[in-house]
Amino acid sequence: MSFRLIVQVLVNGVLFGTTYGIAAVGLSLIFGTMRIIFLAQGAFIIFFAYISYWLLTLLGIDPYLSLLIVIPVSLLLGSAFYYGIFKEAAAIEDKNISLLLAVGLMYLVENIMLVVWSPDPRSVVTPYTTLVFRPWGIVVPFTRLTALFIAILAAVCVFIFLKRTLIGTAVRAASEDMVSTTLMGINPNWVNAVAFAIGIGLAGVAGVTLATIYPFDPSYGFVFAIKALIALALGGIGNVYGALLGGIMLGLIESLGSFYIGGGWADAISYGVFLLVLVFRPQGLFGGSIKKA
Amino acid sequence: MANQLLEVNGIDVSYGDVQALWDVSIKVEEGTIVALVGANGAGKSTLLKTISGLNYAAKGEIIFSGKPLKNLKPQNIVDRGIMHVPEGRRLFANLTVLENLRLGAYIPRARASFAESLERAFTLFPVLQNRKNQKAGSLSGGEQQMLAIARALMGRPKLLMLDEPSLGLSPIFVRTIFELISTLNEQKATILLVEQNINQALRIAHQAYVLKTGKIVMSGAGSELLENEEVRKAYIGERIRRRQR
Repeated sequence: MSFRLIVQVLVNGVLFGTTYGIAAVGLSLIFGTMRIIFLAQGAFIIFFAYISYWLLTLLGIDPYLSLLIVIPVSLLLGSAFYYGIFKEAAAIEDKNISLLLAVGLMYLVENIMLVVWSPDPRSVVTPYTTLVFRPWGIVVPFTRLTALFIAILAAVCVFIFLKRTLIGTAVRAASEDMVSTTLMGINPNWVNAVAFAIGIGLAGVAGVTLATIYPFDPSYGFVFAIKALIALALGGIGNVYGALLGGIMLGLIESLGSFYIGGGWADAISYGVFLLVLVFRPQGLFGGSIKKA
Repeated sequence: MANQLLEVNGIDVSYGDVQALWDVSIKVEEGTIVALVGANGAGKSTLLKTISGLNYAAKGEIIFSGKPLKNLKPQNIVDRGIMHVPEGRRLFANLTVLENLRLGAYIPRARASFAESLERAFTLFPVLQNRKNQKAGSLSGGEQQMLAIARALMGRPKLLMLDEPSLGLSPIFVRTIFELISTLNEQKATILLVEQNINQALRIAHQAYVLKTGKIVMSGAGSELLENEEVRKAYIGERIRRRQR
């Protein structure tokens, strides 16, 4: 087998894995402050894919340009969802209520999408959809390369926000110890809302870039949520930086798995890896130790 | 008569069906150290948590700086000027020393004087300046306690509440912490102190309350309680005699 082919497989993995990665970063942030797996993340990714589709077909707005609309809208929507749906539940010690709200929201969004856009797959078709670069004979579709850059850019923005701003520092603090954070005078609703805003914001970015690459239908959201969850587990639940790496790793696993074992196996392999990691390294592949109850 | 900074009047607090505080009243005068002492589970931490808004008081009132405080949200109580250093310090272990201090000064009033507060913190705790870019979790137990107190001071509190600051520290650090509390008090800080180290706590306290199974059973000047036969027998026991030898 040629070296070029292996490189191609790895490139494919990284190109798609970063999209899983930013979805997982969003999950990780929301998990950090809220202590729930936000299962509706995938539904929102597909929702924003549809928004991008509508902006293109109805208004003729280019998908990449549509990010200028989608990002602010998704940030606002994220905080609105927190204040409208999750705020009261977040104050309750039993996190199952928040989790059930996320499940309910997921099905609500999915079913609204079924009504509005039907179960038939849609795709975003632009003049550059079929554009392909071939550096050294390796096939690199333009849309996947752009998705990679946009995902990395989004992740870097989030990391800078978390590291350099006071509210970002508060979000990191809250994911360590929410009670102690409130004793600093920080409103827990505010940090939760920021985490939600960024989480849904990243879903917006992931949705738009996904739409440029693949056809999608409403049911794909759940699959994507599970993929992001696997990426989260690989990176270590609650480890924001690990989540991005976990996504890239999942992309690589799927790409290598479908190449060596067969396309049909890709999903089975990723779920298998998911379970193995949770059983043997629940702190994730990159984390140190994990707190035991 | 000096100014009454904090007044807790007859509060009842329960955890579910279990009542933890019964008709508890205390007063904290401005510029003093007030100690809450008593056995494990007597309700000392519960009282601090109720003042800082983490627990709900079903009955009674809490007056701070002349205004009612009872059952406000913790973040609003910080705004009013109370900083609570909880038991076990609860630092943000993965954040740096400096980031912890920054969050201590989160409220707008404190944020405005961040630079000044930071300078003061580093003067009080030079070791923190040397370690400002280290993760808080990498500090020793004593250094972590210093950081926890420094972080609370960054919030420019009118009242500083310390829950078991000497717990788990080596004897040298225990002495350092108590000296520090006295120093802070000399610089006009008002401190409400919960301690298991009753002997030391009563030595530095102007006023002290003894809690037993959720009720105040005794109160008086620190020196008075230190001499009190009952207190010595129940809470200080042999330790004090051994130390005085």
